[in-house]
Amino acid sequence: MDLVTRYIAAVQRELPENKRDEIGRELNANIRDQLDALAEQKGELSDDDSAAVLLQMGHPRDVAQQFVPPQPLISLAYMPVYRYTLYMVLGILFVLQIIASTSAWLHSQFGLLLYLKSVASGFIGDACLAFTAITVTYMLLSREPAAAAKAKPNWHPRQLPAVGPGWQTISLQNIFTDLGTYAFLLVMIWYPLWFSPEQLDAQRISLSEPARQFLAWCTPVLLAGIVLNIGQLKQRFWNRPMLMANILVNSALVVILLYLAINVPLLQIKVDVWPYAFDWESLQFSIVLCLLITACFPAYELGRDLLRLKRLASSQVR
Amino acid sequence: MTQSQLDKIRLELRRGVLVLAVLASLKEAHYGYSLRKQLNDNGIEIDEGTLYPLIRRLAEQGLLDSEWQQGEGRERRYYQLSVSGHTLLGQLTEEWQQLNGALSNLLGVQPEEIA
Repeated sequence: MDLVTRYIAAVQRELPENKRDEIGRELNANIRDQLDALAEQKGELSDDDSAAVLLQMGHPRDVAQQFVPPQPLISLAYMPVYRYTLYMVLGILFVLQIIASTSAWLHSQFGLLLYLKSVASGFIGDACLAFTAITVTYMLLSREPAAAAKAKPNWHPRQLPAVGPGWQTISLQNIFTDLGTYAFLLVMIWYPLWFSPEQLDAQRISLSEPARQFLAWCTPVLLAGIVLNIGQLKQRFWNRPMLMANILVNSALVVILLYLAINVPLLQIKVDVWPYAFDWESLQFSIVLCLLITACFPAYELGRDLLRLKRLASSQVR
Repeated sequence: MTQSQLDKIRLELRRGVLVLAVLASLKEAHYGYSLRKQLNDNGIEIDEGTLYPLIRRLAEQGLLDSEWQQGEGRERRYYQLSVSGHTLLGQLTEEWQQLNGALSNLLGVQPEEIA
């Protein structure tokens, strides 16, 4: 009988405190009835017989879970909106971190690796906090069963997008990567606005004046990209107008990068305060290469979107 | 089809029916072990880990009344259908008969043959 007492205690440990006594009492009565019935057939029972009955009952944790099934942390009704909130908030934090790290980078002029580390560590820290806050919020909301029913969105079949190929869905990751890039470029172009003349003067490396002026004129392209990305957040589906707009923005970016690579020295370096810099020609050559490689990304998107536009047009003709 | 796939489908098939079987058995008062024995005697095998939590859930939903009683030198919790349990049993029985009839047509056998 000692085994039964230990078994009941093990089950009770897995139960919520307010249910332990009641379930333990009932389980005890049921197991002892079972052992009595077995004793009627076999005579006096050994510990092995009791153990066999308990083994048949199942592991104490499994039995406890049958009595009080474990509740998911977040209700299934909330799961889609929880994931959406998580992606949105993490995406926004990524963009904000890009802005913060770029500003700090321009202030302190630390190396590229330290800049990447600043972006990664800052984002991971914020993301952990946001993840915990969002999860705890939805966990608390999930405790209210009536609220879970309200979480179901209103919809109508007419609001659903037309059937199209898989690529027509725009991933949040792509949107926020683009937003991060635009934010980085805007901070790079306009940072002199919030830097004091002394701080600007202390910089060992900065955008050359012609490059900065040219890029300032290109700001509308970047703003158009941001507006397009915000539009994509509202409607995450490639359609003809959105593809056209993306083609225009990417074409402009390719032109801007190629112009910078060919015509304008991108950076100016104070060789007197940074004497260990590369020689000027090598550095310019490296920058031109970097700009050409960077131009490949919008160029790739440009080609991809043209192809998609063609496919979209042909599917509409059919 | 493997044995485990068959077991899984059988388990799903039986899950809903078990509630009906338990409610039908509890027209008379039973304690946990006696209920299990009655079900087994009628050809419905159910393990303790499934039956005892199921009775408790039905009682928590107000479908069963329960009472602790002393019997044969031991306390036991007896369960019996409550008023709403009786109502539900009537509705489920009707539903079961309709399903049974419909399935008989689909399977091309008489209801007695299925049972």
